[in-house]
Amino acid sequence: MDDPITRREAIKKGLCLSGSLALACAAGWPVHAPSEAWALKKEEGFLIEGVGQAPGYSVQELTEKVFDAAGGMKRFVSKGDVVVVKPNISWARAPNLAASTNPEVLEAVIHLAFNAGAKKVRIADNTIHNAERCFALTGAGMVAKKTGADLIHPRSSLMRDMKMQGHRLDIWPVFVPLIEADKVINLPVAKVHGLCELTLGMKNWIGGVGGRRNALHQDIHQSIVDLARFFRPTVTLIDAIRIMVKNGPSGGSEADVAAMNRLILSNDAVAADARAAGLFHVAPASVGYMVLAEKQGLGSLDMSAVTLKEVIL
Amino acid sequence: MKPKQLIWLRRISQGFFLALFLLLLIQTRFPDAAYQEYSLAVTGEQDIRVGYPATFFFQLDPLIWLTSLLSGHVWIQGFFWAVAALLLTLFLGRFFCGFVCPLGTIHHMVGVVRPALKGKALIKANQKRGSQKIKYFLLVAVLVSALVGLNIVGILDPISLLFRSLALAVFPAVGNGIKAACDVIAASDIKPFNLLGYAAEEIASPIFGYGYPAFQTGWLIGALFLVILFLNRIRPRFWCRTLCPLGALFGVLSRFSMVRLEKKPEACTDCQKCALACQGAASPGPGVDWDSSECLLCFNCFARCPEDALTFRFRWFPAQNRGPDMGRRAVLAGLLAGVSIPFLGRLDGQIHKVSDPRLIRPPGAVEERDFLRLCQRCGLCMKVCPTNVINPALAEAGMAGFWTPTLTMTLGYCEYTCTLCGSVCPTGAIAEISGKEKVGRPIRIGSAYLDRGRCLPWSGNGPCIVCEEHCPTSPKAIYLRLDVQTRQDGAKVTVQLPYVDLKRCVGCGICENKCPVKGRPAIRVMAAGETRSVRNQILLDI
Repeated sequence: MDDPITRREAIKKGLCLSGSLALACAAGWPVHAPSEAWALKKEEGFLIEGVGQAPGYSVQELTEKVFDAAGGMKRFVSKGDVVVVKPNISWARAPNLAASTNPEVLEAVIHLAFNAGAKKVRIADNTIHNAERCFALTGAGMVAKKTGADLIHPRSSLMRDMKMQGHRLDIWPVFVPLIEADKVINLPVAKVHGLCELTLGMKNWIGGVGGRRNALHQDIHQSIVDLARFFRPTVTLIDAIRIMVKNGPSGGSEADVAAMNRLILSNDAVAADARAAGLFHVAPASVGYMVLAEKQGLGSLDMSAVTLKEVIL
Repeated sequence: MKPKQLIWLRRISQGFFLALFLLLLIQTRFPDAAYQEYSLAVTGEQDIRVGYPATFFFQLDPLIWLTSLLSGHVWIQGFFWAVAALLLTLFLGRFFCGFVCPLGTIHHMVGVVRPALKGKALIKANQKRGSQKIKYFLLVAVLVSALVGLNIVGILDPISLLFRSLALAVFPAVGNGIKAACDVIAASDIKPFNLLGYAAEEIASPIFGYGYPAFQTGWLIGALFLVILFLNRIRPRFWCRTLCPLGALFGVLSRFSMVRLEKKPEACTDCQKCALACQGAASPGPGVDWDSSECLLCFNCFARCPEDALTFRFRWFPAQNRGPDMGRRAVLAGLLAGVSIPFLGRLDGQIHKVSDPRLIRPPGAVEERDFLRLCQRCGLCMKVCPTNVINPALAEAGMAGFWTPTLTMTLGYCEYTCTLCGSVCPTGAIAEISGKEKVGRPIRIGSAYLDRGRCLPWSGNGPCIVCEEHCPTSPKAIYLRLDVQTRQDGAKVTVQLPYVDLKRCVGCGICENKCPVKGRPAIRVMAAGETRSVRNQILLDI
């Protein structure tokens, strides 16, 4: 390429290039285009339930096995991705009280994400209690230090008004790191809740927004579904190693906690919640936001709609 | 030692102690290390504490030790530092004022950086004058008042004053400005600006606090601090010479100081350079006796004297210096004021009243009368509180309790297992308690009451239960009852109505803080039921 290219040649080459591109595209275009041509390819739903039965099993190993059963973390995280993990660390409570995501699960997920090639892993939750105390008492701060993940301190500059286009929520301040991520892993803990019965995966997104969150309770079910539709995580892993069976969602006593030794992984947010509801002997069809979520197309309450797998350790 | 070296020694010491004060002030907060220590988090066996000796300057301050002893009959933790400071003063004079006191250093700096007076006016301003007796009056007044039962020294004590002013006014003001700027930059759509904003915030937040910390009456504290700084324009170190009760205490004790200024009148040419540089108006010039009780030991006169007519010497034999010029009237007035103040403080009836509905003391606070005998109004508890709930009282605690800590639940709430405030209280007005004690005993700071007319479910305005959700006790003090209500259009709706179980409520105030009914929340905490008071109980059996 010693000779400088003339303008005429440049135009010619450009036209050739765009023409052949256009042809190639047209050739690749399906003849019977689906009605929503731009919709994402519908991923096949799966749900993996990991159960730790052996006494003294390793939570980390269980987490790894559960992801392996889904095809490995590489299925969800690509090389160079910025991954945000959204645990539920809203309450400044020790892990044994099951008010927050189990730090061992959190640590294992972050390790998996890094091993899958993630450039950065961030832990982001807009906590209810003072954030620093939440980081300290839930063990999330220790996990961040150990794994090298970034712990995002929720603050006003990280809240930005966004259009949610939900049925109930229109414009609402959103916790920015969750939006600026390549991949989002929803990592809630399973608990009971005074108003919406259970707080699982979809309810966890209340911790993804700022603003007048306490007003959401006035239409909690539609609010949860609007948030779940807006955030749409890559995958949901419900931590049910210990679950809170009463006094939720804040608990405060070991008497409120039951050991379930389970993890539920799914790319179907509704199915994951429905499965976890079973642990509380709650019929998913009786939980307002689950029914609404299925009706509004976020996923399926019916386990037959997803590929079910069980991993036992 | 040569005079120049002494001056530099003084400057280094002043710089060191001011920096130490600022460091300890910044570190009086929820510690960073805590969220990296898993053992702390997972067991809850160990309570989270500030990793620095946050109360060091308060332990070093003899006035705080003396008033706590006279008033509260308590030997405060680390009081031997204060005893050491007093003993050293016997030998060295007011070294604390010249070498250690961070407030003195700030005044010194203000005077040097922007001198308001020059030449003859400065020489005149540096002459000893009668108003310097005021500090003795104030010293006698606060000591006698403490003895009679009201400890107000914290309002004037330089360590308390400086901590309060910086922590509750200066730092929040500067920090909020920086934070607001960070927010504006971070909201930019241009990526580099955006990142710059986040980065700046990461640096500023640990120093100034996350969020927007602010304190009620912060404006008043800040304004008074500015006034005190501006007084340096009238006379250098106006505060130290005229008002500081701690300086007065050191002044009284420096009578036997072995560090003495010796004058050689025959060498003096009356150039007045010593008077130009004197920080304490301690009569360094010829013809009058040097005032050891006024001398701040800045050594300026020693360094400036061109004729070597002034020398500081260390004399082993006890030579009595000129006594402090207290004045009989100042002492008598101090006695009178000291006896009157505790009674004047009761004129508004607050002390004998069981409690004010707005006055909620931090968890671990001792009974109100003892509290007023010990509280230094220094603001340590307010600075360390992670939720900004502890605020200086304006009228909540009555006249006697001005600037003592009170919890304002609309600004924050008391975290269920947090015990930081008691761990930094220098005098034990807030006892150091453990998280286990706080939850297990339990320590109540008040109790919550529903305002049914405002409450959303009770007033028929829809479902809510935010208070129940946040209630931290287990079982919850706020419980729900199902009820069917008829709406305006006749439709029946089932709602959950919140109730408060007074036996379980600890008064933490998170319900009030998170209630969606703003302005005046539908659930509010009052001090009634607080464990520290026998009289302020509601239930017969608790």
